[in-house]
Amino acid sequence: MTVRRRMWPIIARREFVERARDRGFQVSTAITLVLLTGVIVISAAFNRPTSFDLAVVGEGSEALGAQVRVAAAALGVEVVVLELADEAEARRAVDAGEADAALVDAAEILVRADPPDQLVGLIQAVSVRERSRRALITAGLTPEEVDAALLQARLPVHALEPADARSRETATVVFVGVLLLYGQLFAYGYWVASGVVEEKSSRVVEVLLSTVRPSHLLRGKILGIGLLGLGQLLLIGLVGLFASSAVGSLDFPSGAVATIGLVLGWFVLGFFFYASLFAVAGSIVTRQEDLQTTMTPLTILILGSFFIGLTATSNPDSTLATVASLLPFSSPLVMPTRIALGEASTWEVVASIAISVGATAAVIPIATTIYSRALLRPGRVQIRQVLRPDGG
Amino acid sequence: MTTTPVDALELVGLVRRFGAVVALDDVSFRVAAGEMVGFVGPNGAGKTTAMRIALGVLQADSGRVRWRGRDVDAETRRRFGYLPEERGLYPKMRVFDQLVYLARLHGLEREDARSQADRMIELLGVADRARARAESLSLGNQQRVQLAAALVHRPEVLVLDEPFSGLDPVGVDVLSGILRRQAEDGAPVVFSSHQLELVERLCESVVMIDRGRIVASGRIADLRARDPRRLVRVEVAGAPERWLDRVPGVRVLEPLAEGAVVELDGASESDVLDAARAAGSVRHFSVVRPSLSEIFRREVAR
Repeated sequence: MTVRRRMWPIIARREFVERARDRGFQVSTAITLVLLTGVIVISAAFNRPTSFDLAVVGEGSEALGAQVRVAAAALGVEVVVLELADEAEARRAVDAGEADAALVDAAEILVRADPPDQLVGLIQAVSVRERSRRALITAGLTPEEVDAALLQARLPVHALEPADARSRETATVVFVGVLLLYGQLFAYGYWVASGVVEEKSSRVVEVLLSTVRPSHLLRGKILGIGLLGLGQLLLIGLVGLFASSAVGSLDFPSGAVATIGLVLGWFVLGFFFYASLFAVAGSIVTRQEDLQTTMTPLTILILGSFFIGLTATSNPDSTLATVASLLPFSSPLVMPTRIALGEASTWEVVASIAISVGATAAVIPIATTIYSRALLRPGRVQIRQVLRPDGG
Repeated sequence: MTTTPVDALELVGLVRRFGAVVALDDVSFRVAAGEMVGFVGPNGAGKTTAMRIALGVLQADSGRVRWRGRDVDAETRRRFGYLPEERGLYPKMRVFDQLVYLARLHGLEREDARSQADRMIELLGVADRARARAESLSLGNQQRVQLAAALVHRPEVLVLDEPFSGLDPVGVDVLSGILRRQAEDGAPVVFSSHQLELVERLCESVVMIDRGRIVASGRIADLRARDPRRLVRVEVAGAPERWLDRVPGVRVLEPLAEGAVVELDGASESDVLDAARAAGSVRHFSVVRPSLSEIFRREVAR
């Protein structure tokens, strides 16, 4: 009939099921997924490879246009050449936006307002080369000599900090990841706090405490809510990954998968740390209205860490980012970026994880003590008061 | 049901202070298995503190709580049923789910918990609200669900803080029946109440507490037998104001609309009757037993 068993899995299950069943939760998850998919699809539409339409009209334009197309292709830029009947037609096409530029008689470039620099630069370069070539032939050189002189190899470019396409893509994915981590840590931390207040203000806590130890109650609550947060994050990651592959915006899916893994891992590290503190914030008040006040220090801590995390996506090796990636409250929002961008050394990663786990292990017993002692006290509880040896 | 001497819930020498206030001062009493005991006393006397300590919700500064001769631990308390003074349910959780959850926390397997939850909502007449969220229930129905929560895990011991407050007369009858059955099935049942007539009707024994001290405990019949007072209830229509004050050897214990319950302190029953006839037309005259509240007042005053 009755058996000795651990109670926290039952508690965790309730937290998970009741919250997953909540209509508000389901709607907000759906909205997040729709927004994410929308952003991915829209940005893919804008990120097509660069392509220009060039109208050509008049003598010599067609040949020059063809050379521009070849020169552009060498740079990874697509140029579509449109042959038009006359200049008026070309003006109309440029004005209507059907062509980005028009080449008139191989002697004049027509654009609407802002010249498309890349295209105009290409036309100018090709045109200068062609005119130089003709001038040199007129001056008496053979076409072979001219070509030998003019067709030089391009100068090689050496980047001091090579930004390859892969790390660019990773930076984007990890940026979204930090955004999600921030939202997730804050929202689920708040859920822990308000869940504690709900039990306190509804007085159900006294019924619970007659059969469950406070430490189990806290453990079950944090685990249940944390699992839901992790599950939601995983769902968002998978949908994002699927949507990105569907529209072909991911050139390096394995990198994105690794980044999602990083985000999930650091959610776990960050959540237990913050959830314990949020539980304390909840346990020392009795009304939801008072929760905002006690949560303020945590809100500031998460928000500050989030901003450092954002700067780290563009500047992952700054001193600020390096220090913040080691501190337990900011590392979840900073370290994933530094790891993903390859800026964190192995020892930094190990140290960061160790500090995070250590800090959480240190915070949990203190949080449990405050929580246990504050649970049955009415009104606003002073932390100092419950931490005194006779506080229980 | 035969009970061995140790087959009881025992509170032994409980002391609890809140700062400078001594809430419990050496409180000891026992509730035998199969016995229903009323726990009475004024507000702030220490009833809730004692019950909370019995359930381990609160720690005593010293003293012990024993069940069947052994100090109770968390595992034993899991088989206790508790109705706290401050009622509490999860406002947004469905009634049925709530009961299943609490039954599980008390150690029941899932299927058992579900069938017990079904049984309890049926028993307490809230089966039609099983799928409703607790916050949408009327206060009376919330109270019934709260009682179901205290009983859902087939508790071995029942500790109920003011279980009858907030119940309508039908609810009082239903709960009385349930508690009697629990006691008949061998559970010690202790409940606090301010409705002393109800306690008198339901319980064979009482524990009386005042300012943290037990002032009396035992069978109501024994406490009454210990009370040497002779009481008379007399009601007279058309009598002058305060006519009883002028009858020598009589003390008014409880004034009534047209008379009073008086203690005979030198006068005889017939002296009072004579005075009543002289005062007006006698509507009621009887020799009465001291009620529980009169016994309580006397014990506190001692």
